Amino acid sequence: MLGLGNEYAGDDAVGVLAARALAPELDGVADVVESAASGLALLEVFQGYDHAVVLDSICTGRRPPGTVLELGLADLGPVAAPSLHQAGIPEMAAVAARLGLGFPARTRVLAVEVAIPPTFGEPLSAEVGAAVEPLRRRVREQVERWARAPAEPEGELGGAACTSTTR
Amino acid sequence: MTSPRTSTREIVIDPLTRLEGHGRVHMFLDEAGAVDRAYLQIPELRGFEKFAQGRRSEDMPQITSRICGVCPMAHHMASAKTLDALYAVEPPPAARKIRELIYSALMVEDHALHFLFLGGPDFIVGPDAAAAKRNILGVVDLVGLDIGKEVIGVRKQLRDFVAAVTGKAIHPVFGLPGGISRGLTRELQSAAAAAAERAVAFALFALDAFRTTVLGNPAYVDLVTAEAYTHRTYYMGLVDAANRPNFYDGEVRVVDLQGAEFLRFPAAAYLDQVAEHVEPWTYMKFTFLKAVGWRGFTDGADSGVFSLAPLARINAADGMATPRAQEAYEELVATLGGKPVHHTLANHWARLVEMLYAAERMAELAADPEILGPDVRTIPTGIPTEGIGVVEAPRGTLFHHYRTDERKLITSANLIVATQNNAARIALSVDKAARALIRADSVDEGALNQVEMAYRAYDPCFGCATHSLPGTMPLVVEVRDAGGAVVREIRRG
Repeated sequence: MLGLGNEYAGDDAVGVLAARALAPELDGVADVVESAASGLALLEVFQGYDHAVVLDSICTGRRPPGTVLELGLADLGPVAAPSLHQAGIPEMAAVAARLGLGFPARTRVLAVEVAIPPTFGEPLSAEVGAAVEPLRRRVREQVERWARAPAEPEGELGGAACTSTTR
Repeated sequence: MTSPRTSTREIVIDPLTRLEGHGRVHMFLDEAGAVDRAYLQIPELRGFEKFAQGRRSEDMPQITSRICGVCPMAHHMASAKTLDALYAVEPPPAARKIRELIYSALMVEDHALHFLFLGGPDFIVGPDAAAAKRNILGVVDLVGLDIGKEVIGVRKQLRDFVAAVTGKAIHPVFGLPGGISRGLTRELQSAAAAAAERAVAFALFALDAFRTTVLGNPAYVDLVTAEAYTHRTYYMGLVDAANRPNFYDGEVRVVDLQGAEFLRFPAAAYLDQVAEHVEPWTYMKFTFLKAVGWRGFTDGADSGVFSLAPLARINAADGMATPRAQEAYEELVATLGGKPVHHTLANHWARLVEMLYAAERMAELAADPEILGPDVRTIPTGIPTEGIGVVEAPRGTLFHHYRTDERKLITSANLIVATQNNAARIALSVDKAARALIRADSVDEGALNQVEMAYRAYDPCFGCATHSLPGTMPLVVEVRDAGGAVVREIRRG
């Protein structure tokens, strides 16, 4: 499980803080990684795993802050104008595939809608903070599903909740 | 009579592609449909200075390394050096060398990725290539899987080494006031030497690829030297006693438009030499040389606009400190007509020269017996008050400036980041390229990409460790009439 975000920057921290909260109950079940890095710097984090859950913030501007979205690789859309530093998970998966590097075939992204820009030093907003418990529950459910059926096909779980999201 | 304002139309590029962080380009057209003015607008990440107040000064290397998800080591190192200044302690020789070793590894890694994945789409795939191909995968398709794997492999080897020394490759637990947290073992010294050897080989390969791909293509050479990408400004970089670039330490040197030394000062004198200009349309503050003054967004000897980043460092130096980098430097200077080189796109070449220098410097340091010295910390004993530290981040000179109270808690923290120091020249570049390349009746993807190339060459970083999804970044161009209505929209990605 990879929790992404800047723990000092308001709601951007939600992925990291949720991962930290979940770490004790996933002990022995999953590796939990926190990171404030972005883009291809994360490529190697995924190597060697078959399953991955990514917790992050998302800013679509189309949903109320605190909304939890669940996405698979296909939901995140095709590779388009990727950035070295902002490369998204689909870009990382595509690069890994092209270069023959390992990347978890089953990757789920649980993202919490946030507003931008973030403010340093602010705690999580009430709306986003309220999403931590649903996140925890959904991660537990996902891990249990994978424990029962490790080869569960991609795409059954979350639906294309955010296929066309743009910033 | 119609006012100029009401007769203009606006083109917006938002968000920028292959650029760290999030920005927006506005282009205002005149009545004839030509670009009247173009702006690069940067959203603000708010509240850092307030956030830092009351924090323990010794925590700043960890805190500031989380500001940016892209170059945390640069902030970490600048912060550690600021703590040295704050506590008035000099790290022992081994600590200084280990810091520089780690920092050299960062520079190789960062520049390698830029060459292939950020700059690569513009020069390897080509500025006019279809957007769907002008990306990482397009580069990998052209350079081949082996090269793509080697970039990843070199980078991984460097990062593994850095992580072994600093605790974490991304957010190091390493720099302390007066030194570092632990010394280098013989095993890690060997790992450094092996990584450096591979990095030197990769840098030489990259330079060779640049020669073949760019210098071997007259159209690309014309692009690099085009007036649309040329500005005659001052240049700034950190140099050693012999006026050679040093990424970790030295004095700040500024050269004028003819390459003559204009200023040379220690980091602590930065605020005496550089001031900030504010514009109403952006949160970004534009730095300029006090000794020259702010004359607006214009180049020339009378304008205090200066530039940072690889080309500026090459221009601000008299040569490179390692042999093969010196050869590469001489080739660049000779090919581009002598120094200073004013062509913005030459940053891509300069970056490769720097990558070779960093790799060679890493090898030198790894071979230095003193680097195994057990004494890696000078324990501070005084009460800190104020400190300024500097490093050359991959994107240019980075300053940290802290003040503390009697409890050693931060009372003010100011970070003057490389992209801010470069902002005025970047603004010039966007404006000039837009004027040269864009017209209302010819706003196509190739032209827009060539405008974006003007700032991508600097490798600007507006990233602030925000990680919001999605990973795709569609580019939206809007042409607006005077009333704000969208009369044309181009969407890609």
